[in-house]
This record gives sequence, structure tokens and C-alpha cells, in this order.
Amino acid sequence: MTERRETGTAEDLDGVLADLRALSEDIDSCAVLSGDRDLLSSSHEPGVERERVGAMLAALVYLSERVARESGKGHISQLRIDTGEGHLLVVQLDGGGVLAATTGQEARVGLVLYDMRNARGEVEKALAEGSDQ
Amino acid sequence: MKKLLRRLFLLGALAGAAYAARSYLKGHSTGQETVQIVFDDGSTRSLASNTTEGQEFTDIARKLVETRL
Repeated sequence: MTERRETGTAEDLDGVLADLRALSEDIDSCAVLSGDRDLLSSSHEPGVERERVGAMLAALVYLSERVARESGKGHISQLRIDTGEGHLLVVQLDGGGVLAATTGQEARVGLVLYDMRNARGEVEKALAEGSDQ
Repeated sequence: MKKLLRRLFLLGALAGAAYAARSYLKGHSTGQETVQIVFDDGSTRSLASNTTEGQEFTDIARKLVETRL
């Protein structure tokens, strides 16, 4: 199930995320967070609070940026977290947004990240088209 | 009696050393690197789960994996 925030951008993003999930079967759920830390598209199950998910994802991005600053780096390009029960994967987008996905513990994480990086261009394109409208 | 006390002291010291070594090794083995950050210059940094920084990441990520995005 996909939550939609705005027509145009959200519909395009929903399509891109649906393609990504179809391509990468190990992905349990995925979402796009804008550079303004706004959850633009999310494939979460009913009952999950959208704002809560967006806030937690934004907090992770903030923590990553803090580590980048402390390490004397510019920005992060990828984040991979093993929780013991699954993985959370994040790929940075142009404009400060992120594409995020969750997988099970046995997922082929490298392959999922490869698919996410390949989908990044389509996500950025959908975001750019949405901002033009 | 003095000999017995000396032996007890040595036994206690050995037990303490064994416990300290076990705790040390256990602490290191649980600190798996669970967070990997890749920067835009291609360099990476890994954070272990037994560090405060790594724990911050895994606590949030665990909730997101549970609830899904």
C-alpha cells in the first residue's frame, strides 16, 4: 500500500518505488524523504503513523550528516544499518533527499543497494518533474 | 593456616583474572560493526553496535525495520 501526499510527484514516485520493489524482491518497504525532510512517498502498512516514520528517517539522515561533519566529509552517499532483524538502507539523492528501504535479515543487501542506486535517477527525475509543476 | 590463606588468596586472584579476561573478550566480540556509512568521496566509516554513536543509529533503524517505511 502506498500513501500519497501530492498528485503528480507522488504518483510518479509511487510508480518508481513500485518498479523498484518489483525489481528487488528483498525489499520489504521503501520511501522517499525530500531535502526538506518531508516524507513524499511511502509504502508502509496501514496503521503506521506517517509523520512518525518521516521523523525517524529524518533523524537518521541528521545523525549521518553529523558523522560526516565530525569525520571532515562533505555528505553521505549511502547508509547501511544491520539491526539484527533486518537492514535499513539509505541512498542519498540530489537536492538532499534520500531513498530508503528496509529488508529482512537474509536479504542480499549489496544487490538491493545496487538496485536502489540504479533507481536513484528515476526518483530524482520524478522529484524534479514534481517541483516544476 | 597461613598457607591455606595464601592459597585461597591465589585462587581468588586467578578467578578474578579469568572473569576479567572473559568480560573483556565478551565485550569485544559483541561490538560488531553494524552501521556502515559511505561518503560522497567514496570513503567509508563503520560504527560498532557497542558504541553510543552506533547505538543511536541501530535504535532508530530497528523501529523502522519493525514498522516498515
